[in-house]
Amino acid sequence: MIFCLFNLPLSEASESTGDLSSDLKQMSLEELMEIEVSKVYAASKYEQKITEAPSSVTIITSDEIKKYGYRTLADILRSVRGFYVTNDRNYSYVGVRGFARASDYNARVLVLIDGHRVNDNIYYSASIGQDFVLDVDLINRVEIVRGPGSSLYGTNAFFAVINILTKQGSELRGPEVSGEAGSFNTYKGRISYGYEVGNNANMLLSGSILDSKGQNLFFKEYDSPATHNGSARNCDYERNYSLFSKLSYQGFVLEGAYVSRTKGIPTGAFGTGFNDPRNRTIDQRGYIDLSYDRSLGQQSSVQARIYYDNYYYRGNYTYEQDPKTINKDIGDGDWLGGELKLLSTVFEGHKLIFGTEYQYNLRQDQKNYDENPFSLYLNDKRDSTVWALYFQDEFQILKNLVFHAGVRYDHYETFGATINPRLALIYSPWSKTTIKFVYGEAFRTPNVYELYYQDESVFKSNPNLKPEKIKTSEIILEQSIGKGLFISVSGFYYKIKDLISQHADPADGSLIFENVENIHAKGIELEINKKWESELEGRVSYSFQNTQNEQTGERLTNSPKHVAKLNMIFPFIKEKLFLGVEEQYMSKRKTLANREADAFFITNMTLYSQKLLKGMEISGSVYNLFGETHGDPVGAEFRQDIIEQDGRSFRIKLTYKF
Amino acid sequence: MGLNSGVKTRIYTKSVAFSLWICSILMGVMVVMAIRPSDAYAQESKRGEYEVKAAFLYNFVKFVEWPDDKNTHADRTINICILGEDRFGNAFDFIKDETIGNRSLAIKRFKTLQHIENCHVLFISRSEKEDIEHILGTVKGLNILTVGDTEGFANKGVIINFYIEKNRVRFEINVDSLKRSGLSISSKVMHLARIIQG
Repeated sequence: MIFCLFNLPLSEASESTGDLSSDLKQMSLEELMEIEVSKVYAASKYEQKITEAPSSVTIITSDEIKKYGYRTLADILRSVRGFYVTNDRNYSYVGVRGFARASDYNARVLVLIDGHRVNDNIYYSASIGQDFVLDVDLINRVEIVRGPGSSLYGTNAFFAVINILTKQGSELRGPEVSGEAGSFNTYKGRISYGYEVGNNANMLLSGSILDSKGQNLFFKEYDSPATHNGSARNCDYERNYSLFSKLSYQGFVLEGAYVSRTKGIPTGAFGTGFNDPRNRTIDQRGYIDLSYDRSLGQQSSVQARIYYDNYYYRGNYTYEQDPKTINKDIGDGDWLGGELKLLSTVFEGHKLIFGTEYQYNLRQDQKNYDENPFSLYLNDKRDSTVWALYFQDEFQILKNLVFHAGVRYDHYETFGATINPRLALIYSPWSKTTIKFVYGEAFRTPNVYELYYQDESVFKSNPNLKPEKIKTSEIILEQSIGKGLFISVSGFYYKIKDLISQHADPADGSLIFENVENIHAKGIELEINKKWESELEGRVSYSFQNTQNEQTGERLTNSPKHVAKLNMIFPFIKEKLFLGVEEQYMSKRKTLANREADAFFITNMTLYSQKLLKGMEISGSVYNLFGETHGDPVGAEFRQDIIEQDGRSFRIKLTYKF
Repeated sequence: MGLNSGVKTRIYTKSVAFSLWICSILMGVMVVMAIRPSDAYAQESKRGEYEVKAAFLYNFVKFVEWPDDKNTHADRTINICILGEDRFGNAFDFIKDETIGNRSLAIKRFKTLQHIENCHVLFISRSEKEDIEHILGTVKGLNILTVGDTEGFANKGVIINFYIEKNRVRFEINVDSLKRSGLSISSKVMHLARIIQG
């Protein structure tokens, strides 16, 4: 049906464009000025420059994704100022501003694809590894907006909003195939097709598949004859396939995405049988999103969106103790919703946004049972609704002074209402200097996993959890100097109240989520970006953050004091051959067991070529070039306190555009 | 049983609430659209924004005089360059067969500023917004007609900048940038433009 809808107007448009241009060229300027046009990029009026945004923003483009050899969203985020990524050999977790709670499944960062919320409705997980719903090759750009975003986006926009914009069919124009091979028997293939008719009809279809055998790993914590002397063989495998489609016509965009990822668990997490390849998780997510963007006269536009999402999780955990069994852990989420947003500049000096959102969680079900002998531990079925209203005004007080004020009201069926404001003052004393003062509040509601997950032995539910809150103040200074040099310095202070965190109940040792921690942190970030005329470009950043748990006075776990990055692209042959070099440093981090994960310094290198042969792109990458040994602190479900990360690894990639 | 039907009722009331929300939103949208019925009807005969802009660019070339026109290589091709994201699609397809005087026209697409010195017209796409100062610094003194369609570009020093007014394409000209560029534009064009100084 979708095909019928889109085929008709497409063919009509292609016939008419030829005629139109030929008569247009005959026209005089006066005649041209009388022609009414349909605007394609209606929202572009509201596209902002980095310096105009009421936050500190980083943008990573598809060009950088190619030239630095990024394989996943996690790779992209690792290169971003102040961000870091922790991996437990199953999931990847992003850390922001010194906060990275092990096993929080990225619930405190909101991830959007073309404005569509990705975080699921059971764990609020926004996966960033191979379980991410989009192949990174399809990314046009990633916008990383630091600081609380709840005043526009509601829950999860706690530390940052990561907005991913996908490519247009017009960027591909025809079929494209890509294949890659890497260390640990990793192979990936992608086939895409892009199509464009005239200015306003666009189509992109793509499918990807990945298979990785993974490594044979050694864990000293399991170094005994009973547990295969600590060696986990064939347990680190990963498979993934994903599909993406985007059809746009006039102001309509219909987007569909799906991913299925299977990952073996080599670590013996949750006390499961060590060296047993049957231990694995499957995560699948998919969505259909229809949005419509239309200008209403010169000064207003309306954006509407309806969507349906599905999330599916299956965990397979083997237990060798009595009874010897396979435990199945299940999460099933379905939700649908809509959003309507009105943008207007009707009032002189004001840019207004007014919006409403509704989400209906049809299913937020969790189940846990032993297969044989059958024993049911959890069968929790939930559904819920949330609706919200939001408003933002960008008020141009003076030519060089803008005041942003935004507020959002969210109403949860389960918790009631929460109101979150953001205020920002943006001042440009000189044309190349911008100073921003930002204050914002954000919240995150407890998810159904934290509220209701329980089994009869280890996990206890806590239906009385409240939302956690954060208040953040920031000062950001942005300065352009001469040609292509951009410097950003910022300082932040945040305070988290009622953080939802897992604790052992002193009464019986069971694990329970509670609103007990209060946290505050302060930090400084510095970044210098430079683009030279010769295509040479680079960025260097340093961030310092000091986090503290108010009860204990101690620094948080997995919270490095210093994070530094250097990224450079060297052009070897103009427009054709580039070397991308990345350096990443992170200082030591405290672990759950009060030990320390060592500081480390990693170098990645990618040699990328395009246009050497027509339509061909070839790249070769080395990750962790010097084979630096380093490990990440992990959650309480692991016997290990620190899990070692990959040593030196390689990838070659070939993309051909027909 | 009892529990089950309870759940069903809850789901039912939520579906009703959701449908009501959707309906009220849709009605809101329809009301808003009804206020401007002319727009909806006019849709059919509308031209693509970038087709019209392409026609404008073609026209500008006719009315601009480059200093090297007086030179010997006056029969050289006139290069219209697009820097950054190309939103013109195939709107420029007609230009292959066109000539102005005895000069043929060519469209060139650029991602970077390399080899930009051969351009006569440089259309700077919205995608280059962050980089505009650098771009203008590079083209300085190169006798290139810079054109944009981004709010504020003319104030930054782009010579001709398109904007939209009442769904029609308009343009502004920064006369000081024009002076600095060494180009001259026919007064016919100047009369139609909104003039910007600085």
